Formats: sequence, C-alpha cells, structure tokens
Amino acid sequence: MIVDLKHIGEMCSVVRTPDKGWRIGAAVSVRQLGANGDLARDYPGLIEAAQLIGSLQVQSRATLGGNLCNGAPSADAVPLMMSIEARVEIAGTRGRRMVNIESLPVAPGKVALTPDELLVAVLLPPRPARSAARYLRFTPRREMDIAIAGSGVAVRLGAAGEIAHARITLASVAPVPLRATKAEARLIGERPTAALLAEAARIAAGEAKPISDTRASADYRRELVAVLTRRALDACVAEAGVGGSKP
Amino acid sequence: MSDQAVIPLRVVGQRLPRVDAGERVTGRAIYPADLVRPGTLVGSIKRSPHGHAVIKSVDTTKALALKGVKAVVTGADFPEIVPGTIIPFGETGADLWVSALIVMARGKVLWVGQPVAAVAAVDEHVAAEALSLIEITYDVLPAVASIEAAMAKGACVLHPQHTTKGFEPGAAIPPNIGSRTLLERGDAELALTQSAATASIAVKVYTGHQGYIEPHACVAEADPQGNVTLWASSQGAHQTEIQTAGILGLPQSKLKVVPLELGGGFGGKITVHLEPVAARLAQISGRPVKMVMSRAEILAGGSGPPAAAQVSVEVGAEADGRLKAIAGRYVFDTGGIPGTPTTLLMQASAACYQTETLRLEGMDVVTSKPRTEAYRGPGGIQAAFAVEQAMDELAIKLGMDAVAFRQRNAAVTGSLMPAGTPFPSIGLTTILERVAAHASWRDPLPPGKHPRGRGLALGYWRGTSMTSAAQLTVAGDGRVMVTMGTVDISGTRTTMAQVAAEEMGLSIDDVHVATGDTKSSAYSDAAAGSRVGRTMAAAVVDACRDALGQLKGRAAERLQAPEVDVTYDRGVFRAGGNGGTAASITLGELMRQTLTDGAIIGRGVSTKLPFGVEVGAHVVDVEVDPETGQVTVLRYTAFQDVGRALNPTAVEGQMQGSVVQGLGWALTEAIDYDADGKVRNASLLDFRLPTALDVPPIDCVIIETPVPGVPYGLRGVGEMPIVPVAGAVANAVRRAIGVRVTNMPMTPERVLAALKNKAGNPA
Amino acid sequence: MKTVVQCEVNGEPREALVDPRDTLLQLLRDRLGLTGTKEGCSNGNCGSCTVLMAGAPVCACLVLAGEAEGAHITTIEGVADGNDLHPVQAALIQHGGTQCGFCTPGIVLSAVALLAETPQPTSGQIRHAIAGNICRCTGYDKIVTAIAAAAAEMQAGARQ
Repeated sequence: MIVDLKHIGEMCSVVRTPDKGWRIGAAVSVRQLGANGDLARDYPGLIEAAQLIGSLQVQSRATLGGNLCNGAPSADAVPLMMSIEARVEIAGTRGRRMVNIESLPVAPGKVALTPDELLVAVLLPPRPARSAARYLRFTPRREMDIAIAGSGVAVRLGAAGEIAHARITLASVAPVPLRATKAEARLIGERPTAALLAEAARIAAGEAKPISDTRASADYRRELVAVLTRRALDACVAEAGVGGSKP
Repeated sequence: MSDQAVIPLRVVGQRLPRVDAGERVTGRAIYPADLVRPGTLVGSIKRSPHGHAVIKSVDTTKALALKGVKAVVTGADFPEIVPGTIIPFGETGADLWVSALIVMARGKVLWVGQPVAAVAAVDEHVAAEALSLIEITYDVLPAVASIEAAMAKGACVLHPQHTTKGFEPGAAIPPNIGSRTLLERGDAELALTQSAATASIAVKVYTGHQGYIEPHACVAEADPQGNVTLWASSQGAHQTEIQTAGILGLPQSKLKVVPLELGGGFGGKITVHLEPVAARLAQISGRPVKMVMSRAEILAGGSGPPAAAQVSVEVGAEADGRLKAIAGRYVFDTGGIPGTPTTLLMQASAACYQTETLRLEGMDVVTSKPRTEAYRGPGGIQAAFAVEQAMDELAIKLGMDAVAFRQRNAAVTGSLMPAGTPFPSIGLTTILERVAAHASWRDPLPPGKHPRGRGLALGYWRGTSMTSAAQLTVAGDGRVMVTMGTVDISGTRTTMAQVAAEEMGLSIDDVHVATGDTKSSAYSDAAAGSRVGRTMAAAVVDACRDALGQLKGRAAERLQAPEVDVTYDRGVFRAGGNGGTAASITLGELMRQTLTDGAIIGRGVSTKLPFGVEVGAHVVDVEVDPETGQVTVLRYTAFQDVGRALNPTAVEGQMQGSVVQGLGWALTEAIDYDADGKVRNASLLDFRLPTALDVPPIDCVIIETPVPGVPYGLRGVGEMPIVPVAGAVANAVRRAIGVRVTNMPMTPERVLAALKNKAGNPA
Repeated sequence: MKTVVQCEVNGEPREALVDPRDTLLQLLRDRLGLTGTKEGCSNGNCGSCTVLMAGAPVCACLVLAGEAEGAHITTIEGVADGNDLHPVQAALIQHGGTQCGFCTPGIVLSAVALLAETPQPTSGQIRHAIAGNICRCTGYDKIVTAIAAAAAEMQAGARQ
C-alpha cells in the first residue's frame, strides 16, 4: 500500500515561528518554497540550494524532507540546512521529537528514522544579524546534475567585523554531508581576510573524505572543496558585512 | 540540370515550416511506442551481464511455464548467419553477421548488454519476472574493454577465427585488430624532418552516444499466413526489411516494414536491434509484440555507440606556412565485432588541406564493448579533435593567424584529395574569406571573470551518394503525391514537397509527400551519410519530369496540338506557346478529364550522384575557470557551404543540432566502462547531454556554392557540422589557458589536470 | 491490488484502474491512451514526459499513478483548443522549433507553464525553463526563439 503524505496540512505549509524562525513542512515543494518572498529574504541561500535540485519539473515535486530523507551525500539542500543549524521535527507512534539535522543522515541512503517515524517539518532558527549562508556546488552541467562536490557555509560577523561564528558543511565528499569543523575553528575570532578564507577552505579540503567514482576522482573532489568553500566564504562574508541582506 | 541555376526558384530555398509539424506540436505524431494493436504483448530482452563469456546453457523452461508468458526465444530460434554474409547497403554492402550478433548472441557473449534471450508476455511486470526465470550459465572469459587492453601483448583474443587484413607480410600484428588501412602519398616522414616547424598531438576520445531521445522501439505482428508486419522507428525501412528478413530467414515478400515517426537516430537506428526479435516473438505467439528499450538498456549495451578512439597526428610546414606533411595514426574501437571502417574518417580529417606528403594509418580494434555504430559523420569529430588541434598548434608555432594558415593550405576544386584524386567542387576558400571578415572572428573577445579564448576548426564530410527512389502520382484535381523510399529524417517530407512543388509549378499545399512502407515504395538506401536531401531531391526531380512528360502527352491530345508544341508553366499547359492567345488547359482540368484514362505515375530513381562535398568552419569563444577546469561556451558561429539551402530553417536546424551534439561529446558526454566492460553511468543523469543552459545560441552562416550535376547544386548538410566542434573548442581552450586538452570529453577534471600538468612542467 | 484513480485530465473527468507500481506516465499512455506524453528515460532526466499538475510542470514518470487522485492534469493533448493551437505550438511550427518531435510535447508544456507565470521571459529565463527538457535535434536555438515569439504574440493579445 502506498500512502500519499502530501495532503497533510502541517506538512505542506511554511510558517513563521514566534521566535522569528521558520517551520517548513517536510512536503513543501521547492517550487512552493521559491514562491515565499519572506523566507527568500531570510535565507536566500537555502532557496538557491533547493533550486539546484533536479529540473523545474523535479522541483515541482522535490521537498526539503525528501532531500533529507533520501540520505544522499550529494543532497543539495542539506549542507546549508546543517550550517544554519536547522532542526527537524519527527512524528512517530511514540510521539514527537526534535533532532538537529546533523544527526539525521547516517549512511548513503540511510537516515536515523525508525520505521514508525515520519519527518514532519524542518525548523530554521531566526536569522542572526550580520549573518549569511550560501551553498555552492560543482557540476559539469549547469543544471540537471548531481554535485561532484558542494560546500554550504554559514557565517556571522561580530561587532568588530571579526568572524563570530562559522559553519561549513560539505556535500559529496563523505558518506554523509560532512562538517568541516577544523576549518570552522580556524575562522572563529579572526578578521576575514582573503588569505584566511583561502586557508580555511584548504583546511576543509583536508577534512573531506571523498571517494573516486564515475563522477570524479577523490583528488578532484578535494580540490573542488577548497575552491567552493573559499568562494562560499567570500560570498557570505561580503553579504554579512553589508548587514546581512542579499547583496 | 544546369538550367536550374538560372531560373528563379519559387518554393525551393524558402523558409517554409515543416509540413508535419502540426502533429508534432500536438503530440499526435505516432512513434512505435505509441502504436496500439489489439492484444499486444510486451517483449523484453535478457542481456549478458558479462563482457566476454561462453554461453554454456540457456534454460527457458521456468520462464515459459510462468502464467502470462506467450513466447521465449534464444539464439537457437534464429538461423546461423556466417561472417561475410553481405547484404545490399550503400556503396559497399553490409555484413549481416554483424546485425545478427547485435540482435542475439550466439555461442558467446561479446559485451555487457548483448541480448541472450527474449520473452513476450501479457504485461511488463510478467515480462520482467519471466526474464528473471531464464537460467543462463556462462563460462566467463577475460574481457578487454578498452583499446589499450585489447591491443596489449597477450590480450585475450575475442575473435580467434578472424584474419586481420592490411598489414605488410611479416609485420608484428597486435591482438584484436580488425583490419588496417594505409594511405600514403610521398614520404611524410622525410618531409616532417625537412619542415621549418612541426606540431604533434596524441588524443584519446572516450565512447560517446548518439543520444536520440526516442528509445529504440518497434511493434511486430504475424498473420496466420506467415506475413509479418513491422512498425519501426528506423533510418531506413528497406534496410530494416533486408536485415530482419535475413536474420529471420524470411522471404522479403513476407515482411512489410512500416516506418513510423523517427524520434532521432543520428546513425544509431540503421542497424536493427529489437526488430527481428519482436518479429520472431510475434510469429511464435501469434500476437502483436511491442518492444521498447529502456534508457539504461540503450546506454549499457543495447545500442551501438560511436567509437572510442586514439589518434596521433604530426604535421609540418615551411616557414611561409605551406604544409609539407600530415602524418596520422587512427586507432578506432569497433566494439565486440570487427569491421568499423577507418578509411573515410582518415581521409575526412585531412581533406581540408593541401599537403605535399601524407601518411594516414588506420586500424579498428575489437574490444569487449557494444559493436559501434554510426554517429553523424562517423569518426569525423574524433579525428578532427586531433588534426585540428595539430593544425592550430602549427599555426601558433609559425606565428600565423589561424584563418590565414588555413587559407594558405585550403583544398580547392581540383587539388588532390587525401586519396590522390582531384577534388570535385569545394567551397572552402569562400568559407575562409567569410570567416576572416566576420564579426565572430574579428570582434575582440570581451573580457570576463576567467581566461577566455577563441578557437577555429575546419570540418569536412563527403556527402555520399547511394540510391533513392520516389514515385509521383497525380490526383483527379491535379494535386500530386510523392511516395519516398526513405524515411523523414530532418524534414525530408517538407524539403521534398518544396522540390516537387518547384518542379511541378505548384504550391507546397498542392503536394503531399509520404514516407512509403517497404511494400509501397521502392528500394532506397538509409537516411544516412548526408544524402537524403540530395539524392531524394534528384529522384523527386526525375519523378516530376517523368510525370510531366506523360501529362504533356495527354495535354497535347486535349489541346489537339503536337506534343512538342505544348509547354507547361505553373499549373497550365499551353499549345503553341505564344502567350495568352494559345489554347490552354490547367493541370487540374486535365486530370479531371483524363484521370480515368489511367494513372499518371512518375518514376524517379537517383544513383551515383556526384558527391556533395560538405565543408565548414566553426569559430567558438570559451571561458575557462582555472580553479575548477570548467569550460563555458560563450559564443558559437558555424559557417557551412551547403550548395543550396532547400530550406534555410531546416539547414540551420541541422547545423545547430550538430554543433550542440558536438559540444556535448566535446565537454561532458562519455559512456564510462569499467575494466570488465560494465557501464557505470547508464542514465541520462550521468551521461550528460547538454541542456539549453549549457550552450549559447548557435549562429549560422550559410554559404551556397552549387555542385555541378546535382539538382539545385545540393551538397550534404547534416553531418559535417559536428566534425569541427571538439577541435574548435579545444583550440579555444588552448588560446584561453595555454594548454592542450587531449582527452575528450574535455571534462572539468581533465581540463584542470592539463592546467596542473603545465604548471608542473613549464614549457 | 489495483485501485481506481479519478482525476481531471485536460478538463475532463477520467478514471482508471491502476497498479500501485504504475506511474502517472503509464496511467496517461497505457490506460487513458494519451500517447502524446513521451517516455525518454523513465528517470526524470529528459523531460519528455512533462505534464502539468495544478499548473506546475512535473515528469509523469516520477509521479505515481495513485498520486493523480483528484489532481488536475494537463497533457499535450489539452494544450490546443481543438485545432486552434496555443501560441507556443504555433511558434514552434513557424520557427522550426520541432525536428524529430519526440521532446516537443514536453517542451510545449514547460513553455506553457513558464509563460503562465512569466509572460515576458528573457532568453535566459526561457533556457532555464526548458533546461529539464533535453532536445537532441535542434540545439535549442529555434525553440528559444519560438517561445520568445509566442510570449510576444500573447502579449500583443492576438489570442484574446
């Protein structure tokens, strides 16, 4: 038997939470997400990342919940959601629970849901001031492709223009989306010079654990991580520096 | 037919919409997968999981016993076809043995995906289950899934009984060579040593694919009296009939092939794949059988991809740029069955250039991969990827402009072709003049975020002849119907309606063109080799003139005038020919009065038409991201001499489609075989055809230098414009980042590797 | 176990018996006889089976037949009003935007969806809108030209 979940109200709606964050139903399509102007102003990088999934036809059907529960290390919307520290709400026969997105993927094609559980919603925290989040991926084709590597970066700047907070999550270079914690640590408290961002990006590349397959060699993936992470950091720092609105 | 040049044309040369476009934009066009016959079964194929193995046994008992299964076939259900069973095809004939092994393995499997058995069942779910119940035992042999593996010392020989031809006596012949061809004029080796400058390159091209969007499909039905009807999507109904009848051991009188719409072929739908299997399943089950390949089957052994290749070229010139030598070695991967010819592509790759000496050596190598098949100018793009890069590098070394270097050496009418005979009409110098003066070449490259470069490459294709047949009948109202022996491949119905309207002095709306089935049309070769427009036009012209001759006789009777005094112009026969005062009768009136005197049937057969040499030049601007290796194509301009454009819109469509196919293979498309011959990317996700976002607008410059002795001076159109693409892009990349990318597709990873290689080994 | 699906296709109520494994593509082609929707890859990678569900383009091969319950679906057979073609269809004919024709139904539906939301698209927006539809014949150029011409035509209000 097949049950269609796309008619459950709370799974199909996008709402502002009282704390000025967002609750996005797990079955909201990328097409619908893109149509939400307020969400796009808060998290343009999330919309951009989600709009990298498949074609427009696929985006009429694709959801953040599906992108997460599919468990693909290449999932385009996941690294950014991890970097902005989104959480997910899971409903099951034993009630509901909230988990950090980071703890959801466990292996390619596997997530930490039990058979009696259902991912209901993704919860985004309120967007901090002087912050930005962007995801960059690399594919041979412009669209209709799978990330050879990707990097989802979130940055918050402090009062003195230093990097107060940073998260870097990598796609397609490990069995699950991978936090580059050493690279993050290198950034904290530092002024975001070009040299620093490039160095952090190289550290992230070192943290990647890619494989070679039909899409790319491990070495090439690692190189891409350095390039994409640096470019994403550059973009985030620039965006956060002008107050956090979309440049 | 030289008179055609002076009479202004009314219909030929016009940008008319396709006459069959309405059914296409409304979804009403019927391809075989759309055809519904009562009681149709689903046919499905059991394919080899091995790259090379002996078939020890095939047990179909359990599959046959499954409820809903109506027929099961294996190699034993087809007569054995021995190598060298030549069937009519084009100028050379074709070996039916090759088609037979593509359709069904016999004795051993030669590639992953080769058919071993097939079933017909009531639906696809039952068919899938039946396939899983067929028990096959294999004796697995070593696979050689690349040119290197196949030619390696001690490699497993795939066809031990095959005799390699073309080597000098006593030469050491590497294993698995199909045959060798050598084309030599003068002493190229010596000329290279005497050259002021030389350039050389060795390239490796990975297996591509034609990428037609319509998967292979057919429907077969057999009646109780043994007549078989096959609805096919094929580049040649008559070729499908000949191959299918031969493979089944069926008289051609018992087989009718009905061509439905063709959802793209590009060379990959000339050889039969499913058709004989569907027919045999239909014969056994007594029910119609529909077979449709999945995309995964197409990419993993179910179809014949174009050849992988390794080409090395060295060229040398005097200090003034005059070419002294072209030396090339072309090793082409023929897949699991020998016989992919290299002669034409070798010649094509050097044809644009006059050279003092020439040495071209070609070989086809048998590998544990699907038998290669044609793809738009077969072998041309692979060879030109090497030759055009070598020429470009030579121009750089000589300090010459890329166009000027080509102008210095361009082949002209009467200059020697690679084979040593004089060139027939060729318009290359005109093309190069146009390029040199054109904005696409003269405009400065606008600056970008990353390094940019502009590349030029030339292309040549022969524009073959082969035969075409058309018949023309005239209806009781004077409207005409043309039945062609070819399918419609690139708007053929439309262009031939234009030709018939032109010749008959009618409007295109007064003409109906049909693609005949094999029992209502006469033998025509396949829609391949850039020939249909030319040779079918010649046949239609013939048929029109034949019909007009008959009509003039009738008009003379009606007008009571001697036939020699009857003239015909735009639908009106006149006696005496002295303008308005003479007696006249319209074609419509004539037919109304005389239809029942007997049918008018115009016969048109064209054969051995002069070649319609196709040449062109492509100019492309690219930007290369030096950190990721990604190549972005910014601007593309294609110049081509088509003799005369029957329909410029259709010509541009061929040019633009060719270029984008070429860009796909040049940059992203390759089938990835592992060492055992298994395909690692059998989907359109990882076999990356370009999308609309990956390519720029393709600007077309059509040049018209008519070929004498061909109606309207037509040249071939459809194949040449894929030939230069990869070379042009590679040359643009070289100009952008200073390195040559020698592996194709030039994936971002390979471009980056080439850059790093340069950084590590500064010149 | 097969179930009955009821939906509205091209404005007409339809129902069919479907297997749970069946896709919307099989429902349309095999059960309802709407063969204008083509199957090119069965994986959402070519766009030949593009149809509209509630106005949004989807690959019918990626939608289960059961999901069509209650849905409003537009296929290529429902784009023209009889033989009165949609401007996109007319423009594809006029500008040579269809060759072999196999991708054309999907292209038409992607373009119809685009123009419903973006009446005056740039050529970049047009290319983006059809990026999920692979065409192997045309090189896309004439398709883009045709869609732009259709947009202009619709803007001019010629159809009103």
